[in-house]
Amino acid sequence: MIDDKLLGLILLCIPLSLVSFGGGQTIVASLQHQTVDILHLLSGPQFTDLYAISRAAPGPGTLIVALIGWEVSGLWGAVLATLAIFIPSSILLCILGSYWQRHRRSAWAIAAEKGLAPVAVGLIFAGVFAVGQSARFTPLELVTSLGAVAVLLTTKTGPYPVLAFVGVSYFLLSLAGMA
Amino acid sequence: MDKPVGDIGMEREENVTSLALLASFLRLGASSFGGGMAGWTHREIVERRGWLTDDEFLKTLTVAQIMPGANPVNLAVYIGLKLRGVAGACIALFGMVLPAFAVILAMSVTYQQLRSHPEAQAVLRGLACVGIASSLTMGIKTARRLQRHALPILMALAVFLMVGVLRWSLVAVVAGTIPVSIAATFWIEREKSRD
Repeated sequence: MIDDKLLGLILLCIPLSLVSFGGGQTIVASLQHQTVDILHLLSGPQFTDLYAISRAAPGPGTLIVALIGWEVSGLWGAVLATLAIFIPSSILLCILGSYWQRHRRSAWAIAAEKGLAPVAVGLIFAGVFAVGQSARFTPLELVTSLGAVAVLLTTKTGPYPVLAFVGVSYFLLSLAGMA
Repeated sequence: MDKPVGDIGMEREENVTSLALLASFLRLGASSFGGGMAGWTHREIVERRGWLTDDEFLKTLTVAQIMPGANPVNLAVYIGLKLRGVAGACIALFGMVLPAFAVILAMSVTYQQLRSHPEAQAVLRGLACVGIASSLTMGIKTARRLQRHALPILMALAVFLMVGVLRWSLVAVVAGTIPVSIAATFWIEREKSRD
């Protein structure tokens, strides 16, 4: 039931699970590089599609691995990739959580809380860079992205109205032969 | 928030059945559209069920945020562990992930059916733009909260270059940079407290 491709994906997910400080956004760059360039599970455009679906879907962004698993080997692949991304971090949490809670007032624990942020920021930008680069945006798409950043940063609009607006707009543009 | 505090506590843990735990986390998993999960979880676990106090919830939230893994899932797992041990952690994980998993698979099937249509391709390109925009926004918002100091900013830049541009292994970069970043933060905090 587990072929080489699925095994490769599972063996990729387990270590990523353990370093996914900050959740799905932080492992996107590595997922893209590994699944497209190294393991050849997906093409670049396919990864961009799955990334788009995972960002439009409910739940944690980490679930992009379920989509990759589904592409690689159907339902079984989706289930195993999901387990591989959630179980290792959950086990670590159960083992270290109460230890952490007991020592959380120590100076080192406080430094650890703040010290994770710079690494997470670097990883989030790395993910944006990796997907943005492989997506090869047209000028229209670049304007769309920057406009969406402006709306999300400066207004209280959530991502769903923006997703709906852009989705419908691109559908209409496509019907009109403009996108 | 204005719940009667006195009458929860002693018998609280016995009241938590596996079924109730599963129901709560399936509910939370199903409402995980659009974020704000810490707020939803607080409403369900503290205000509605009274399974944790505000203080316990806050401690749990900190642990969930600092450990690797998606924060809402970590929060669920850790609450499950506290209420019902390892079985509770498994129930919470299952309940939290199942609804989103089902929806994302439905979307995946739809994608596979429609992907050859040019209109579907155009819509996906549009959604990818918004996806990148929302990731970028999250990065900018998190970056704004960094300490105003050269070290954390250089650290974030270095991680970006190593993983994003040079494509070094994420696991190696994280393992190497987190101790340095924590040590640097420790040093900055100590310098600050000396002033």
